[in-house]
Amino acid sequence: MLRASRQLLRPGGRTAFFTIHPTPGLEPNQRRRAHRDGPVAVAAAHPHRELLERAGFTDIDETDYTADFETVARAWIEQYDVHHAELVATLGTAELEQRQRERRTQLGAIEDGLLRRTLFSAVRPR
Amino acid sequence: MPTREEHDTHQRFTSRYREDRTETVLKIERAVIGADWGANGYTTVTQADRLGEVMHLGPGRRLLDLGAGRGWPGLYLAVSRGCRTVLSDVPVEGLAAALARGDAEGVADRVTAVRSSARALPFRTETFDAIVHTDVLC
Repeated sequence: MLRASRQLLRPGGRTAFFTIHPTPGLEPNQRRRAHRDGPVAVAAAHPHRELLERAGFTDIDETDYTADFETVARAWIEQYDVHHAELVATLGTAELEQRQRERRTQLGAIEDGLLRRTLFSAVRPR
Repeated sequence: MPTREEHDTHQRFTSRYREDRTETVLKIERAVIGADWGANGYTTVTQADRLGEVMHLGPGRRLLDLGAGRGWPGLYLAVSRGCRTVLSDVPVEGLAAALARGDAEGVADRVTAVRSSARALPFRTETFDAIVHTDVLC
């Protein structure tokens, strides 16, 4: 996708994206848990800076947003708990409980330092 | 040919985008994300604004949002930054909701939607000034 992005950008164009990925340097069993417990879109093992460089981008910048990730993950759980009765009426008990289970599992992986969320930005050279 | 994982993800999001946007759902989204554009992930309004700054978005600039869902954040950035936005995703339910919201926000002339997978994007080279995606596999 990053190579395609480079081709679609005009010279001087910019890409920016958030990505959820396993924390660098995890043991194999921790990495497996990060992929198992994280959201569907837990990213590839390759460092994104390297992927961006290989795709031909320059001026690569990255900012860690894991603290915000944890805050937002917790907020979804809390808000779904607050509005539990209304949500049961629209989603049904089974679906609601499934979502909350997944979110709690994911929050656990963030709290245990297994998942990070990073903002990357880069420029297509002129 | 989509992979099994892509197929499952498509089914999952199609189902989500078909759910009613009740007042409760909007209230939750405003409390968690800070706005009610149909987000179900982790990108807050503050972070969407940061994306707009990082990509130097403004009037006359052309943005592609990959995996746009219901238009968060690409549609929001069209409204807040004045850029032109192409929303791209596989589930048409999300894109339809985004176009309806774009109409309501008065930016229908600057927002288009294209049903496509990020693996086979139907655009000419050197088309966009900026490309954004949030928590999409790459």
